[in-house]
Amino acid sequence: MFAPAARLASKRLLEIRQLFRQSPQARSFSTALNYHIDSPDNNPDAPWEFSDVNKEKAKEILSHYPSNYKQSAVIPLLDLAQQQHGGWLPVSAMNAVAKVIEVAPIRVYEVATFYSMFNRTKVGKYHLLVCGTTPCMIRGSREIEEALLNYLGVKRNEVTKDGMFSVGEMECMGCCVNAPMITVADYTKGSEGYTYNYYEDVTPKRVVEIVEMLRRGEKPPVGTQNPQRIRCGPEGGNTTLLSEPKPPPCRDLDAC
Amino acid sequence: MGLGLLALRASRSLALNRLPRAFAYQNPSNNAIIRGIVSTPELQNPEAAAAVQQPEPAPELPPRKPVAGARVHFTNPDDAIEVFVDGYPVKVPKGMTVLQACEIAGVDIPRFCYHSRLSVAGNCRMCLVEVEKSPKPVASCAMPALPGMKIKTDTPIAKKAREGVMEFLLMNHPLDCPICDQGGECDLQDQSMAFGSDRGRFTEMKRSVVDKNLGPLVKTVMTRCIQCTRCVRFATEVAGVQDLGILGRGSGEEIGTYVEKLMTSELSGNVIDICPVGALTSKPFAFKARNWELKGTESIDVTDAVGSNIRIDSRGPEVLRITPRLNEDINEEWISDKTRFFYDGLKRQRLNDPMIRGPDGRFKAVTWRDALAVVAEVLHQVKAEEIVGVAGKLSDAESMMALKDLLNKMGSNNIWCEGNGSDPQADLRSGFLLNSSIAGLEKADVFLLVGTQPRVEAAMVNARIRKTVRATQAKVGYIGPPTDINYDHQHLGTGTQTLLEIAEGRHPFCSALLHAKNPAIIVGAGLFEHKDKDAMFSAVETIAKLGKVVRPDWNGLNVLLLNAAQSAALDLGLVPESGNSVESAKFLYLMGADDVDLDKVASDAFVVYQGHHGDRSVYRANVILPASAFSEKEGTYENTEGCSQETLPAVPIVGDARDDWKIIRALSEVAGIRLPYDTLGAVRTRIRTVAPNLLHLDEREPSAISSVAVKPQFSQKVSIAPFGAAVENFYMTDSITRASKIMAQCTAQLLK
Amino acid sequence: MASLLKNALKAIREKGIVNALRTLREEGYTKCLLDGNILQTKIHNIGGTLVGVDKFGNKYYQRYEGIPHGRHRWVEYGDKGRYNASQIPAEWHGWLHHITDHTGDELLMLKPKRYGIDHKQNYSGEGEELIYHSKGHALNPGQRDWTRYQSWQPTKK
Repeated sequence: MFAPAARLASKRLLEIRQLFRQSPQARSFSTALNYHIDSPDNNPDAPWEFSDVNKEKAKEILSHYPSNYKQSAVIPLLDLAQQQHGGWLPVSAMNAVAKVIEVAPIRVYEVATFYSMFNRTKVGKYHLLVCGTTPCMIRGSREIEEALLNYLGVKRNEVTKDGMFSVGEMECMGCCVNAPMITVADYTKGSEGYTYNYYEDVTPKRVVEIVEMLRRGEKPPVGTQNPQRIRCGPEGGNTTLLSEPKPPPCRDLDAC
Repeated sequence: MGLGLLALRASRSLALNRLPRAFAYQNPSNNAIIRGIVSTPELQNPEAAAAVQQPEPAPELPPRKPVAGARVHFTNPDDAIEVFVDGYPVKVPKGMTVLQACEIAGVDIPRFCYHSRLSVAGNCRMCLVEVEKSPKPVASCAMPALPGMKIKTDTPIAKKAREGVMEFLLMNHPLDCPICDQGGECDLQDQSMAFGSDRGRFTEMKRSVVDKNLGPLVKTVMTRCIQCTRCVRFATEVAGVQDLGILGRGSGEEIGTYVEKLMTSELSGNVIDICPVGALTSKPFAFKARNWELKGTESIDVTDAVGSNIRIDSRGPEVLRITPRLNEDINEEWISDKTRFFYDGLKRQRLNDPMIRGPDGRFKAVTWRDALAVVAEVLHQVKAEEIVGVAGKLSDAESMMALKDLLNKMGSNNIWCEGNGSDPQADLRSGFLLNSSIAGLEKADVFLLVGTQPRVEAAMVNARIRKTVRATQAKVGYIGPPTDINYDHQHLGTGTQTLLEIAEGRHPFCSALLHAKNPAIIVGAGLFEHKDKDAMFSAVETIAKLGKVVRPDWNGLNVLLLNAAQSAALDLGLVPESGNSVESAKFLYLMGADDVDLDKVASDAFVVYQGHHGDRSVYRANVILPASAFSEKEGTYENTEGCSQETLPAVPIVGDARDDWKIIRALSEVAGIRLPYDTLGAVRTRIRTVAPNLLHLDEREPSAISSVAVKPQFSQKVSIAPFGAAVENFYMTDSITRASKIMAQCTAQLLK
Repeated sequence: MASLLKNALKAIREKGIVNALRTLREEGYTKCLLDGNILQTKIHNIGGTLVGVDKFGNKYYQRYEGIPHGRHRWVEYGDKGRYNASQIPAEWHGWLHHITDHTGDELLMLKPKRYGIDHKQNYSGEGEELIYHSKGHALNPGQRDWTRYQSWQPTKK
């Protein structure tokens, strides 16, 4: 007698809870936490320095700016530091950049937290970024991401066990004509061999192939993955503007 | 019957008309009800309303008063431009913003991020006004006023803009005013009442932000933050600690330190005042009281020699918080953390009964009559030159006057104030005052700090120096032990050696000093206790002569005092006759003096301690006379620049305690040497004969300009020992702050 | 009105005249004659749907058709002698004032068990012992001899 009533009540309670809660799942942000949590590989006491080669590069970068505006170099230097450190910025790297440009560390943290391309948590050697903006989303970027995550067996912003891959989301990278697309940031060779390649017109099947090729150490062809297209041209060759462009009617180009 | 049927039919059709509405009620999921956000109907369509509202300027506009006494200062009369605020012409100097022009015209523009003492951020958009010929409303705080600009602050467009901004600001703001400490004095609350709408359209989940730990003083509820960045700008610009920043972007944006870090600034409490919402509130005051329950008493801070203007907020017999008062000449609108948070010391370790130490060494509470009789008896037994009086750091001028009169009547002149050393120079006021005045320090272009660490000795003076250094890139040279100075400075040396080098012109800093237009030398009062004091001061005066620091139009030779009582004591002539009077004393009268070296006191000496806290000296005392603290009495204090100010009683006196001067007056009666004053007014009349400047309240009495030729000789044989730090612990300098739990927490957490 | 009478007659038939009268008194019909408010509510009740009854016996009705705005939802107080708005518990307040469409019975399920306290009506003017007095109030019998400051104890050190 009592048990069914209790079950009924609990069911009702769940219903009410559901009614009051508008979206059951928490909002997901593309950026990571805005505060730092100490961990063995990411803490302010860990030593971090630019490598000798990169010190030269940093000097070169600083020379682009007036000597009293050294802080202008913060973004290029953070990028350099990120390439050197395998794709992400520990807090000690940001401190090192702050020291180079002679500002308080918090000014560097502000920049690094603002831009989503600075990763403040560990990423894989190949950081795969799936474009999530509207055109790509309409053309199926969700499925692409799902295929990647399923294949690698990770969640978004997680690194695979072997440390090779991680998947993140990115805003529009200007390849809407070849949507959907992913970007692969390659940190395997540090800042010297750093590449940042676009793979366009991908399909759930093709991204998995790309990941397999990367794992084998091959270089998948960049750009559009649709064999029928040449760069951003239409599938199967051009259909418009096939003739020579006509000169403007009001001007005789040969005359001048 | 027919009529009745008709009526019924009519009502039926009415009911049918109402049906959609009723239907909507029954289906909560149906959002068919269309409603405007704007509460005022004419705002629904501002353009149309503007067209209807014919711009017929009223020919006679009554002159309006500027907001909050805003003043216009024309440095160059040619720079004046005329703008029209709501049709009312107003002249402002070039470079002023639209918001400032509106303030002068008497229109208060709502704002969150704009603060007159901080840089302009322009990110809250609350100050939008309409400007004629501008396609959009403009942010008035960031827009410079241009000649002939027609600013409109109460048009439908401006009102709608504010209402819209307000709706956005409230989107992610939790509506937890009932449990928020800012409730009742919250800018967001006030302005949403005045300019906001009565409803919002935001139906999503609100954002929430992790609270930050900024230390024992500032409580953070970051979800309430509206990202005005006032605290970030305050920390960077005024406090000079670049700890706070704005992290992330978009809806994830938040104020924080990124790495876990306490805000280790001596001015951090001010972020509580400048925060327009309840994101940063006072931790000690949290959930203690509502601001409308509090009684405010305008008073003076006594924990350092600056004499910051404060408001003591009390409820019943308790001081619940201390907030700053505006005084452009002394503390602007900031106060130091010590001033703001030491008040809980007023409730702890209080002396509330007169006590006599019995033969067994234990204290016993007695009546005033008995205690005074014992003191009077001993007073008559000792020789006149063995009577010594020491005034404490927190003594007011009236009680020091009474103490001096009492001891003089007994034939002793061994009376001085703590911190002034055994041989103070009280003849020339310029010798112990901050002669260029605190506000005047802004004119200086080179500072030489000799044996002083203004950051811990006088935080408000330090804020002034920092302001000057930031604004004009003034050079700062510092001689003293290594310390944390929060502006660009050169550490010239640690002691006398460097001072002599500069005096002899051998030091590289000399050239900066010589080329300066208004050089300022600030000597710390810690040197008063130094054994080579005279040599040091003559060296400083030589430097002053060298650098033309003292001129008829500029007096840059300053002494920065440490305690609230010091300058009044020197003005009243509290100078001891002999240097080692404490050792030879048989009768020692300590009026709140807790930093006297009690080991030097002879074991058979009779010590009377008159004060409000059981701090240090009570343990040596034979008789304890309980007195009132500064928050319980009316007393005159002179600050380091020579400005006399007055404390007012905010709370009743605890227990059986009495005002300091009254105790001395009563003691004189019992001892048979009646002092000739019975009221505070009469004491002040007596002060008028000694130091009339102490009675000119809120007025700085500058010292007469003295040509520097007092001690031109300085001996080379001074010890080269480095200067010591005058203040060891910023948070605990006197008996009240040492009794405070909050100050103890600060010491433990912030001074690591 | 006709249905009311029909119901009354039915009740008398079923319960007998004495019981029916007692029910009538309990339902407050007898009070109607003296108290116009109750009479008015009783008349208002005709045609209204009973949405719920709370544990104080307050009955909540609603009706949308043919009733002017603002009177769609109403309550018939359980206490027919002394009734006032503070007798409405919090869970029904929202429904009654059109703040929410969830009825009090639904909202009651959300009430936290651990720290949720029972609703208490406002007893102002009904005797001092029924009213909450804060600590330190002259009528609060609690501790009254505290000091706002802590005095220095000479026995230390």
